[in-house]
Amino acid sequence: MTSPPISMSTEAFAGWPPPALTSAGPFAAPLVTLSWGVFAMAAVVLLIVIAALVLALFGREDLKAKIGNQRLIWYAGLAFPVVVLSALLIWGLSLTSALTGEPEPGEMRVRVTGEMWWWRVAYLNPEGGEAGAVQSANEVRIPVGEPVTFELESADVIHSFWVPRLGPKLDMIPGRTNILRLQADEAGTYGGQCAEYCGGPHALMGLVVVAMPRDEFDAWMAEQGEAAAAPTDALAAQGLEVFQDNGCGACHVVRGAPGASGLAGPDLTHVGSRRTIGAGILPNNRGTLAGWIADSQGIKPGNRMPSYTTLSGDELQAVAAYLDGLE
Amino acid sequence: MNGTGATGMVLMALALAACSGAGETRTRAVPSGDPERGLRIMNEVGCGSCHAIPGIDWPQGRVGPPLSGMGGRALIGSGLPNRPETLIPYLMNAPVADPGSAMPPMPISEEEARDIAAYLYEH
Amino acid sequence: MKSETGFDHKLYERFPTEGERPEGELEALEKVWCGPKGWGWFTAINNNYVGILFIGAAFLFFTLAGILALVMRTQLAVPDAGFVGVDTYNQLFTMHGTIMMFLFAVPMVEALAVLLLPQVLGARDLPFPRLGAYALWAYLVGGLIFFCSIFFSLAPDGGWFMYPPLTSKTYSPGINADFWLLGIGFIEISAIAGAIEIIVGVMRTRAPGMTLAKMPIFAWAMLIFAVMIIIAFPSVILATTLMELERLFDWPFFDAARGGDPLLWQHLFWFFGHPEVYIIFLPAAGAMSTMIPVIARHRLVGHPLVVMAMLATGFISFGVWSHHMFTTGMPTMSVGFFSAASMAVSLPAGVQVFAWIATMAAGKMRFNVPGLFILGGLLIFVMGGLTGVMVAMAPFDWVVHDTYFIVAHLHYVLIGGMVFPVFAAIYYWTPFAGRRRLSERTGKIAFWLMFTGMHVTFLPMHLTGLMGMPRRVFTYLPDRGLDLVNLISTVGAFLFALGVLAVIIDLVRNFRPATEGNAGNVFDSPGLEWLPSGLYSTRSIPVVKSLYPLWDNPELMREVKEGRYFLPGTATGERETLITSPLNAEPQYVARMPTPSPWHFWGAIFTAVFFMLLVPSAYGPAAVAGVIAVVCLMGWAWKLDEPMSAETVDVGAGIRLPTYGVGSTSHGWWAMTILLFVAGVVAAMSMFSYVFLWSRRPDTWIDPPAMWSLIVVVGGYVLSIALMLGARKVVRLDRPRMAMIATGMVVLAWAAMAAAWRIDWVTWSGAGLDPTRSGQGATVFSFIGWQGFYVIVCALMTLYVVMRWLRGRVSPARPTSYDVITLFFVFVAAQAGLAALLTRLFPGVVL
Repeated sequence: MTSPPISMSTEAFAGWPPPALTSAGPFAAPLVTLSWGVFAMAAVVLLIVIAALVLALFGREDLKAKIGNQRLIWYAGLAFPVVVLSALLIWGLSLTSALTGEPEPGEMRVRVTGEMWWWRVAYLNPEGGEAGAVQSANEVRIPVGEPVTFELESADVIHSFWVPRLGPKLDMIPGRTNILRLQADEAGTYGGQCAEYCGGPHALMGLVVVAMPRDEFDAWMAEQGEAAAAPTDALAAQGLEVFQDNGCGACHVVRGAPGASGLAGPDLTHVGSRRTIGAGILPNNRGTLAGWIADSQGIKPGNRMPSYTTLSGDELQAVAAYLDGLE
Repeated sequence: MNGTGATGMVLMALALAACSGAGETRTRAVPSGDPERGLRIMNEVGCGSCHAIPGIDWPQGRVGPPLSGMGGRALIGSGLPNRPETLIPYLMNAPVADPGSAMPPMPISEEEARDIAAYLYEH
Repeated sequence: MKSETGFDHKLYERFPTEGERPEGELEALEKVWCGPKGWGWFTAINNNYVGILFIGAAFLFFTLAGILALVMRTQLAVPDAGFVGVDTYNQLFTMHGTIMMFLFAVPMVEALAVLLLPQVLGARDLPFPRLGAYALWAYLVGGLIFFCSIFFSLAPDGGWFMYPPLTSKTYSPGINADFWLLGIGFIEISAIAGAIEIIVGVMRTRAPGMTLAKMPIFAWAMLIFAVMIIIAFPSVILATTLMELERLFDWPFFDAARGGDPLLWQHLFWFFGHPEVYIIFLPAAGAMSTMIPVIARHRLVGHPLVVMAMLATGFISFGVWSHHMFTTGMPTMSVGFFSAASMAVSLPAGVQVFAWIATMAAGKMRFNVPGLFILGGLLIFVMGGLTGVMVAMAPFDWVVHDTYFIVAHLHYVLIGGMVFPVFAAIYYWTPFAGRRRLSERTGKIAFWLMFTGMHVTFLPMHLTGLMGMPRRVFTYLPDRGLDLVNLISTVGAFLFALGVLAVIIDLVRNFRPATEGNAGNVFDSPGLEWLPSGLYSTRSIPVVKSLYPLWDNPELMREVKEGRYFLPGTATGERETLITSPLNAEPQYVARMPTPSPWHFWGAIFTAVFFMLLVPSAYGPAAVAGVIAVVCLMGWAWKLDEPMSAETVDVGAGIRLPTYGVGSTSHGWWAMTILLFVAGVVAAMSMFSYVFLWSRRPDTWIDPPAMWSLIVVVGGYVLSIALMLGARKVVRLDRPRMAMIATGMVVLAWAAMAAAWRIDWVTWSGAGLDPTRSGQGATVFSFIGWQGFYVIVCALMTLYVVMRWLRGRVSPARPTSYDVITLFFVFVAAQAGLAALLTRLFPGVVL
């Protein structure tokens, strides 16, 4: 037994109550209000149309005569929609400006790069660069109650970054950097999902955003800045050997582990501290790590990591223990 | 695979065959466990990434054996008797309970393991 | 009323004529229009045959794409189902969307036009029946080959929108994407052929007296629809061409690393893709506005408003394309513009909906099958329109974009706005096209199944989207609360399918195609299509005096049948129709109509085969197919300018009309002008692409070649234009050797054009421009490539001119071939000159 029971935070991905209508921050709250507003508008208009239709079909002759002429078209078909639409347009446009405002100076910046089919995460340094930046994958940690700027980019095809409870979605387009601001008002784990079809297992490209109180966040960030600790027990040490012998380092970075400098896959320096593996689809523990390594293609068909079916039980035990220990 | 393992497999196969013939006479149970909670915990820790488990649609792992009909099996792991008092520690920390097992220790408490065992014996 | 062409409107008063019609007149008419027998049936070109086949083909693709949807819904019925794998699923949704949009929706409404328009307008047939038949066969054969790719796992899997870079060679190395690009690229050609046919048909073959004010709403809808096609489709033709060039030759139009931009594709695609929705909706709305007055027994309330609304829809719909790109990080200004336009486009829809409701209120609605489908469609469309207004607001779109909410929205719009009206139309017009009407009982069962199924499927999807389920996913994970909503949707999909099945059963049992002796005017409709008709359409072409001719003149049916109007027989002894003026529909001349022929049929087959052989890069066989197709098309064109026996003929009541139109009066000239308009839109969109890519990466652009080369290139094109304009004058001179001189001038004009093109190419290469290195290289060479294609077409036309001169078929009295070819040459040279000016002066000299 190596770590306390953790929950995969299934609630982060729960579909009920609908996350798009359950805001957890100031960039999502006005969207929820807007949503209910437009639903109400639609309900009212639909009722008016149905009422007019019922009257036209089954109404008394004198009432029918009142609406059976061009006045109905002018009033109900043109004037009324113009009023409703103008109001909605003003609401929508003011919200557009409010939600696309410039980041404040000194705001924390995270660069998230969409890749087939996972997310590369870099916590940018104060200059906005990646030099010395903490690297991670498929999980973004943010301090509670502070707006965070996301620089959204793509390494291959178009993806779309969406954490419904925190704010709007925004595409990640090769050659461009899109800016999205999000903020979580409560500590917790928020599920996200790639929303733009990106081929293959697009359906299984999730992520989590974990909001932590500022002091915990700072402590966590300091830990993340460290290189990976050397294995402390024999099993993990054997795991490091397995990791190196099987060439895992050709695709994965583990800072502090010799030879582990590949950039094709997620940075694993602190993989043990993450909530999920496989891009937000599995809880992270020794068991799932072993299962993923041995048969990632069975779990997420078409992803870029091969199934390591040749590892023996002992090797699997060891490498899972090693990775789980990379906290 | 060592001799014990092979024997265990044969016995398991026999047990399964016997079970299918003899009905539920040899099924096991963990009355003190909560099978519903067991299923939820298995989902939360992701047992499915290695095992196909009845009631869990996704994932249905192919790394370890499928876990259907556990109540009728004679042996678990490399030849341990299939009893709650062996299964529960096995679920929590297989390498200790059964050296040589490929199953890593799982982050669950004894109570949670009990619930899981209750579920597995029921399905 | 003021005369448009000098035709005396008093002549209309001679109709209906009195007295007995001559013996054998009707028999002669029947003889020239009689269809081919036996194995020759595929050579038929009458709109009655072609229209029914066309509708059948579109319905077939609707069914096939529907089956794909059922497979998808089965896979999504439960979480993590293994019914189909991820690769298959990605192909399924790509094919479902693509087929529904390109192989069902557009062809279906075009097919309705082919079947109904001639009769609605009171014409004998559409102006280019062989073109219509060509469009049908190319579409049917090409579409079937395209569909079959799914059986070999070769179907495209990049989504119907085919966004690069996912669809680039790097991320889609197989031929799946090429199937889409070439298959769809060529079906678009078929759509444009149909659109040209419809525009010329509506503008030039209306019955005398059918002024624009008296033109039925159905014809208005089809006209606007066709005009929208020729504006919107060139954009996607360009887009598919550019992407195929990128895939084949590595020209980086959409590769951001080399100065391309994936968003260029999105702009080009949606400039087509959004108007496409209205392209589908408008003809269906036109059908609604035609059927509702009949079913409700009252004239359409606000007819002029509805016409204005349709025009407005067509116009505004070209300003809304970027609302599909709200989540790409557009500037706030653009968001505001496209948001406002997207809302504005719902206004004309509101006008139409309330015009329909007002008509129902003014009359008394009948609840027969067409009536039910009309009411159901109206309700569903309104619901889709309301969610449409929601997603027109960018912030709301940021929430639901690319989720199942959008899936629900678009199906409400398209099923309510197009599918239900089409089913109403099927029930409404089968008595016109068949010997029997369809079953009211089966139809009502079908309606209720489809109506219920529709809501059960798509209503929960709004929620599914808000619950976080993105579109285009082959599965979803358990424990996310998505199980129940998805299961409900799957049940609904099968209910809907049962409804469609009921319609199919009804069609099999009751639909018997009739070219004459149809079921008659069972709904008491006022339109000309309900006149007694045969393969020749109506016996005589009436003078139209109102919007509702059969209601306003109860005698019209009898008079028309007795041959008391225009063209009561065959005036020239051949197939013919009246060509009338565009505004007031005054008779101008009698156009000879073509007869059945195998040329267009084989031309269509080999065009389809040519494109499909390009997919697996089988260039040898493709070249053979291409040559055969060209030979067939030339064989088809060969007899277009045949001399007529008489200069003028009696078209009834002693009115004499010429048998040939010259210059801008001729309907051939109209068709060529529209075709050139299409080519012009392609050129304009290319120029947009050029400037767009420059704005992205100006740093990678090089200086143009030396100024002298620009002067030479433009000079060559100007010379080519001058020679053609001269040749057009020369051929009209009735003197010896003029035919030879004119032919020589055409050859020289072609040579000047080809030389200018070659110099353009060589000097750019000499300046060091490489098509694979930058957006500039890719776009400049795409201009040159397009131009190369046109130079080849011009070479074929030159060959045609030379062959006609060698065979002595050039005549000063019949210069239409020359006029049409001149028009084409002038256009090609002018656009190439403009492209040269743009690429060599901008950026740099001008900016």
